[in-house]
Amino acid sequence: MNWQRVWRSLRAEFGRSPMAKLGVVLILAVFLMAIFAPFLATTNPKAQDLSRANEPPVGFTDTTEDTRLVDGERQTVTVTTRGTLEYPLGTNQLGQDMYSRLLYGARTSLLVGLLGTAIAALAGVSVGIVAGYYGGRVDDGLMRFADVMLAFPALVLAIALIGLLGPQPVDIPDPFVAAGLVSDMPETTVLPVTVTLVVALVNWVWFARVARGEALSVREKNYVKASRSLGASDWRLMLKHVLPNSLTPILVLATVQVAVIILLESALSFLGFSGTTLSWGFDISQGRDLLATSWWISTMPGLAIVVTVIGINLVGDWLRDALDPDIEGESGGGMG
Amino acid sequence: MSDDVILRVSDLSTRFFTTDGQINAVESLSLEIEEGEVFGIVGESGSGKSVTARSLIRLIESPGRITSGTIEYRDADLADDLREDHPGAVDGEFVDLLAIPEKIHRGLRGTSFSMIFQDPESSFNPSLTVGEQIAEAVEVQRRASSNPRSTRARTRSSEYSLRSYAAAAVLPSRGYVSSESKDRAIELLQQVGIPDPEQRVDEYPHEYSGGMLQRAMVAQALAGEPDVLVADEPTTALDVTIQAQVLDILRDLQEETGMTILLITHNLGVIARMCDRVGVMYAGEIVERGSLGDIFDRPTHPYTQGLLGSIPDLDAAGGRLQPIGGNVPSLLDAEMGDRCYFADRCPKAMEECLEKPAEYPAEGTDDHAAQCYLADHPYEASQALPEDYFEESEPP
Repeated sequence: MNWQRVWRSLRAEFGRSPMAKLGVVLILAVFLMAIFAPFLATTNPKAQDLSRANEPPVGFTDTTEDTRLVDGERQTVTVTTRGTLEYPLGTNQLGQDMYSRLLYGARTSLLVGLLGTAIAALAGVSVGIVAGYYGGRVDDGLMRFADVMLAFPALVLAIALIGLLGPQPVDIPDPFVAAGLVSDMPETTVLPVTVTLVVALVNWVWFARVARGEALSVREKNYVKASRSLGASDWRLMLKHVLPNSLTPILVLATVQVAVIILLESALSFLGFSGTTLSWGFDISQGRDLLATSWWISTMPGLAIVVTVIGINLVGDWLRDALDPDIEGESGGGMG
Repeated sequence: MSDDVILRVSDLSTRFFTTDGQINAVESLSLEIEEGEVFGIVGESGSGKSVTARSLIRLIESPGRITSGTIEYRDADLADDLREDHPGAVDGEFVDLLAIPEKIHRGLRGTSFSMIFQDPESSFNPSLTVGEQIAEAVEVQRRASSNPRSTRARTRSSEYSLRSYAAAAVLPSRGYVSSESKDRAIELLQQVGIPDPEQRVDEYPHEYSGGMLQRAMVAQALAGEPDVLVADEPTTALDVTIQAQVLDILRDLQEETGMTILLITHNLGVIARMCDRVGVMYAGEIVERGSLGDIFDRPTHPYTQGLLGSIPDLDAAGGRLQPIGGNVPSLLDAEMGDRCYFADRCPKAMEECLEKPAEYPAEGTDDHAAQCYLADHPYEASQALPEDYFEESEPP
């Protein structure tokens, strides 16, 4: 890619589009939250305080009925709990701070989202470029295999694979805690390896299809033929000529796939497959039973997912409009 | 026609197997090209010129295939190297390029022959600088010459590792493999007359004009110091003054290096300016061949006469141009039949033309020959085919 030109059109489109600005702000916020979670968190997200369970967010009050022994008699009393600044987004049924859990949940989501997308892109683009470049039987073989992968519902395939492999969580040490900058925070962030591989495995097909389509058209270009007539090998042609000129739609797809993979990770965590408890999806499932009384336990992580996914999609739209003027999205299509 | 033949093509047929049927783009073509000459192939669009050029470099892609014939290239060293492993491909000093494995053939591209394509704008990768792309060709040549035969890819593995490929694809600063190849790229750009080559070498193709790109492509093709340069319509996309410049550059370089040029064009002016010998191509065949003088002063085949008759002549005032009626026939196998393919457009078609004509020697130099019954027989009006003969016999 011609990076100067890419940079120029990105800047121009950024200046034009308020949505792009919003998306970048949202994504930046989520990234900063995830990276600096140990500094921003007010309490250890894993610390339980059962005496402070189910407290509402600050500014809300929660009224519950409780049976207590008053002067040796059972009495039903109405208890009103006010949200406090100590737990700004309330607590869950174990008395854990929702706000701190949200920050740490962002780490899991982004880790899985970015790493999963990277693996999916690497696998998919390799397969797609090879299939598109060679064509013929190689193409048929690889792409029919990809179609078969596509035929499985993603969630079912993911659950089956996790059942097969187990969650395989890997602890990544938190550099801030290790450096002694903060104390009283979790020493590690858990990367659910199986989930990461599984989301990549169910999503690589999209990269393969896009990369193949691009490779099919780029390999017909004269510069590929010219280079071949000068003695370039297939390997060189694929890496130097086909891949760089196929990159734009792959980049756009990758952004959107991060959002898709974050959603899939949340769904898997919600179902209890992830191997970590510090995850938005897991928190939503924790609050599901209490939705009628303590709505914030599910709602807060749900909002976090919505904001992140919207932010990523806005950034994806920005990249697409800037880099790939041929593909018109909702924002560019108009009413015609 | 003796020791100095460098390329000997015989009975070359290239076919395309499409859903509409088999297309005979090149049909039993034979020609000999001598070392150091400029051989021109001229013909209308769709006569199979470009396919011939690509066949010579084995760049025919599916659904096309070279179905028969040999392309023999004279290279004594190469012949010695291949004699043991590929005895079928070697004949004296000649090596049959169609009988050697793709891997060996790839090693010859760029260094033994290279090609200039007709559309300069699309022949450069828009995401790499022009210099990098010329340097790439230089690298390919250096790799080939560092160790001439099959082990050539291994010898400089550190420079050609996957890592450097990947880095070059992603990082702009890693565009050149070495500073020597960049210097050579600048030198080549200078040679083809690009002004300010030190600065131009780092510019992208979209910053070049069409004529400059065509010159840059000449530089790229010359990077490997090829013995044979195949130029496929090198000036078609350019305006006339630039055409002349590019042709002059080619001519000068040819005289300087003594390389052989196979020039493919539909432009008889280009042929007259550049070539020593000419082959006239029609419907996948060479219908007439000879020296430049043979073709221009003593055209024998009615098609050649027609081509020459359709050029405006500044000296002979008045008189209308004589276009050749009709179009190039479809090259679909099913519709071609077994007659002289030009008969349906030929003003002198006779009953004999319904059979495939042999190649007859014609008046002029020893090389002059034409694939036409009339080259050896007088025209007899009594045997002429009626004018509407082909209209009737052809299916609606």
